[in-house]
Amino acid sequence: MNKDAQMRAAINQKLIETGERERLKELLRAKLIECGWKDQLKAHCKEVIKEKGLEHVTVDDLVAEITPKG
Amino acid sequence: RSARAAPALPPPPPSLLCNTIFVCRPRGRPSFVVGARTLAGRAAPPSSRNTALASSSSPSPPPPPAARGRALPPMVSRPEPESEAMDAELVVTPPGCSHLSSFKVDNWKQNLRAIYQCFVWSGTAEARKRKAKSCVCHVCGVHLNRLHSCLHCVFFGCFTKKHIHEHAKSKRHNLAIELMYGGIYCFLCQDYIYDKDIEIIAKEEQRKAWKMQGVGEKFSTWEPTKRELELLKHNPKRRKITSNCTIGLRGLINLGNTCFMNCIVQALTHTPLLRDFFLSDRHRCEMQSPSSCLVCEMSSLFQEFYSGHRSPHIPYKLLHLVWTHARHLAGYEQQDAHEFLIAALDVLHRHCKGDDNGKKANNPNHCNCIIDQIFTGGLQSDVTCQVCHGVSTTIDPFWDISLDLPGSSTPFWPLSPGSESSVVNGESHVSGTTTLTDCLRRFTRPEHLGSSAKIKCSGCHSYQESTKQLTMKKLPIVACFHLKRFEHSAKLRRKITTYVSFPLELDMTPFMASSKESRMNGQYQQPTDSLNNDNKYSLFAVVNHQGTLESGHYTSFIRQHKDQWFKCDDAIITKASIEDVLDSEGYVQVAFFSCLYSLVQWHALSVYHSETFPSSC
Repeated sequence: MNKDAQMRAAINQKLIETGERERLKELLRAKLIECGWKDQLKAHCKEVIKEKGLEHVTVDDLVAEITPKG
Repeated sequence: RSARAAPALPPPPPSLLCNTIFVCRPRGRPSFVVGARTLAGRAAPPSSRNTALASSSSPSPPPPPAARGRALPPMVSRPEPESEAMDAELVVTPPGCSHLSSFKVDNWKQNLRAIYQCFVWSGTAEARKRKAKSCVCHVCGVHLNRLHSCLHCVFFGCFTKKHIHEHAKSKRHNLAIELMYGGIYCFLCQDYIYDKDIEIIAKEEQRKAWKMQGVGEKFSTWEPTKRELELLKHNPKRRKITSNCTIGLRGLINLGNTCFMNCIVQALTHTPLLRDFFLSDRHRCEMQSPSSCLVCEMSSLFQEFYSGHRSPHIPYKLLHLVWTHARHLAGYEQQDAHEFLIAALDVLHRHCKGDDNGKKANNPNHCNCIIDQIFTGGLQSDVTCQVCHGVSTTIDPFWDISLDLPGSSTPFWPLSPGSESSVVNGESHVSGTTTLTDCLRRFTRPEHLGSSAKIKCSGCHSYQESTKQLTMKKLPIVACFHLKRFEHSAKLRRKITTYVSFPLELDMTPFMASSKESRMNGQYQQPTDSLNNDNKYSLFAVVNHQGTLESGHYTSFIRQHKDQWFKCDDAIITKASIEDVLDSEGYVQVAFFSCLYSLVQWHALSVYHSETFPSSC
């Protein structure tokens, strides 16, 4: 692993250990809901499902479709 | 036993009966289908679904009895056959996928809980340490890339790089759990699966861990239980909301010069967040006598407005309560609509004691009640000493902005003495119609207080001349602008009829305290950032006054759904166009703007309902 990846791993570990990662995640989640991002993406998901049909859509399909927009 | 009739449903709890229930028609059936499936788990193979369709013999719920004496048919339409099949699936709740059955043996629940606690939602410090150390891909050593844990053995692999897929294939371990959100992946189904039992465990473990870490409760949208769905299907107050429906519109009988009150009531009942607050029954009355609580009365008023009844409502109780709590408005004389608005907000704010404002209520000027959350902004006043240029700043809460108009006794133009001050944002006054923005520019102009109004300067330690400037420190969610059309001075009382045009969309950025600071620092004034919608407002209600001070009449325009406007003239509600609204610029006294965010909320409300209710409900 290169230095960059090592640094990342170390930071990640610290964030998890202190519980800060969970708090940050929740803060981000709240902000994304507040500004309507979540609702917009949700609506986009529904459109994708409508187009493709529920039977033929997997979570990965959705992820691939909405990631660029997200 | 078999001949025994099904027991009658117990009477629904009062909370489900008293409130009107909303069903929004989803845009096209598939969006409903998504909702049903996520609740019920993975779709059953096509053959069994056809069976469900054929055998569905549950009768469609009878439409509610036609409203007695009222002309209009009830709003609920016939259920569609496909949605009846959805009903059947919602009730059955099949397990996630057949491949889970081999997993759900012995002590599987305990084992699964352990996995959640150790690797997904680690609440204790010890668990977090373990998670931090061990949750890396066994193939490439990285913690990123959608890490999954095998459910059959101790193996972590990333999803994006397919390391977990390789493991699943070689070991025939077909189930894995995603470590960020706890989703279960089945390699045979090649998709994430939703199992009701597992979902319950997952939710509990997440809740536990978050509580331990002090993250707080996760907001989850409400999902009705089977019983609740039954009760809702039988609720006679069920209403269907289509994009054209007029639910929420109702005329108000004039009880004797009460048009001023009627207009404000129309504006308040169409304020999106206020409507959401009351329709979700959020008020908890803590008044000694609830019958004198104005908030409770507002709650009933919302029920009346959203009941679907089209006959005009008689707001005698509201009028009585207002007279009781705002004595200065009592009597049958024509009153000022703006004054009524402020008095009403004040009484509502005082009566909101029970609603979530206990924690922040230390400051009587800014509690956390719904009125403050929606209407309260912060007005910054900067007084600058002309000698030492020291600035003294105060911030006061406000519910509305009262704007002077050209044509009053105090001169309007030029906006401020001195050449530079009539230029704001590079724009100078162009002769023609006065705009709302002109009024706001005047409101936020630096004003020389004059030699007769010297302020004691703490820097100079003496009385000095100063300038004062008002700017917005904090914007409210709903901004009310009051045009001061009624001039009351010692000598005269008159109405100013100057035309003031106003926009449908208003950007408050130039009037913010932060904008003023950047201007003063010589920073380049950014062109309006279209991505940042915080300061952008949309018009949703307008209150007009026609006639003279002595004998006049108030009407209002309010916005229904996103782009439909209606004129409210006491008991008469008529459809209006945007042009009608904007043409009333000569009569506007109060204009209500809501920030864009809360209009998005109106759509979110519709979308939310379409997920939880089948269209036949």
